[in-house]
Amino acid sequence: MSQIRKIHTQLKNKEITCVKLVQDRLDLLKSNTHNTVNSLLDTLALELAKNVDAKIKNGQDIGLLEGIPFGIKDVYMLQGTLATASSDLLKNYKSPYTATAIQKLLDAGAIPLVKENCDSFGHGSSSENTIFGAVKNAVNTDLVGGGSSGGSAVNVAKDFTVFSIGGDTGGSIRQPAGFNNVYGFKPTYGRISRFGLMAYASSTDCVGPIAKSIEDIRLVLNVMSGKDVKDQTTYESTEISASNILNAEEIKTVGYFKNFIETDAIDQKIKSNFLASIEKIKAKGIQVKELDFFEADTLVSTYYTLAMAETASNLSRLDGTNYGQRIEGENLKDTYSITRSENFSEETKRRIVGGNQVLSQGFSDEIYLKGLNLRDQIVENFEKDFKEVDIILSPVTPNTPPKIGDSLKNPLAMYLSDAYTVGFSLGQLPTLTIPQGTATGLQITAAKNNDELVLKFANFLKDTI
Amino acid sequence: MTVDILSSIKGSQPSEAVNKLFEAIKNANSTNNNSFNKNHNNAVSLDDLRDDVVINSPNIEKQLIIENFPKEKNGYLVVAKVIEE
Repeated sequence: MSQIRKIHTQLKNKEITCVKLVQDRLDLLKSNTHNTVNSLLDTLALELAKNVDAKIKNGQDIGLLEGIPFGIKDVYMLQGTLATASSDLLKNYKSPYTATAIQKLLDAGAIPLVKENCDSFGHGSSSENTIFGAVKNAVNTDLVGGGSSGGSAVNVAKDFTVFSIGGDTGGSIRQPAGFNNVYGFKPTYGRISRFGLMAYASSTDCVGPIAKSIEDIRLVLNVMSGKDVKDQTTYESTEISASNILNAEEIKTVGYFKNFIETDAIDQKIKSNFLASIEKIKAKGIQVKELDFFEADTLVSTYYTLAMAETASNLSRLDGTNYGQRIEGENLKDTYSITRSENFSEETKRRIVGGNQVLSQGFSDEIYLKGLNLRDQIVENFEKDFKEVDIILSPVTPNTPPKIGDSLKNPLAMYLSDAYTVGFSLGQLPTLTIPQGTATGLQITAAKNNDELVLKFANFLKDTI
Repeated sequence: MTVDILSSIKGSQPSEAVNKLFEAIKNANSTNNNSFNKNHNNAVSLDDLRDDVVINSPNIEKQLIIENFPKEKNGYLVVAKVIEE
């Protein structure tokens, strides 16, 4: 059931006022103990809500997203509001401008309520690497909320926001969506503008929605998509209509990666539930093919090598000169290094140092360039696969959410837990997490630019498994 | 140059966890070394480049950029002391 359509009808029929709708959610966010909130946008939200109520009172029509409360991962710019990236370095930083994707939602009348907790600069898979306290899972508060868009996924799962905008570089929308039993979509790279999203690894950074229904994912995706002169990697895309994703008859073949499933690293229950889902799909007359893919440690290492190199470069601007929490040293260089060593988290420093290692002379050939080469092979592998199958289905994670505290103790284990999500990021493919099939959901992937097919298959699975 | 200087992070050291990832890359099979970079087609076509024009920022944006500046003295924005080496 689409929450957006339901609330839209309630607003139109004057069953609720927009101010009450927004105030109720702000109260829930304020009193919540899951650590999902970095800052509340209460003044702005209530002002926008009053305008919507005035429109309804005057008998004017309102758009579908008008008055719908949503959340924003705290790595997006929204002019005049704090954009901290959950970091000490930017804890007082105010966005000078607004991200394109967020502006499009504002233009459609949606109301931003909150900047949401996440791993600092997107560096993490558990939303524990943050100055605002670890995000607690929506279902079991002893467990992590997932990451890096953990606050966003928990807010949606707990109905604090109707939808939230996350960011996905190596799984940061899909994994927390899976950990909190909601939908989370990473579109094809370039479908949504990255302008105003703080860059982590620019070649895989994607903007995407987290919501409770496929219909809400579709509605929000359509609003945010499109070419943007401020992000030259964006492309023109056509709107996905509701009627186009209802019938999945064209999907004849589904594939899955054998080595993801036939490994000791996967939780046995996730494995058996995944295979049970495959059987249900077969029973509907769809052909299922086992596919070969790269080893999990190769995928993870390729992704992290490239992502760290890109983040070392992207975060080099954060030196306390023009903005950020500057700590004065004896001279300029000293100021840079004290500012950065005091204000970056251990995980962020680990990634910057790793990135500079692989980019430095003597290392770049055998690690960074080889990583790029492996990425090319991964992309070629996907191209070959999508000549044979329409959809690739995978678990979202090999294991259930870890306990709060465990990931910080063992970063390598945290990196390896991204084994099923990072490959699709490197391939820049559209991938949706659905809250079905296994304890942490399933991922549906299609070929590049075929986002519509992903949503179509999600609708099919909703009634099938 | 050492990584702490490259990274501008005092006292930083390479980490064991990250080095393990690099080992995996070194040991991974890479069959076609000549294919380097052929799939990275995110580049913008020459016909599609944006216009080379200066767009003036709105006043509110300028104001926020100034507000974000870490240090101000007598109406001037102060940077750290620059040294010549």
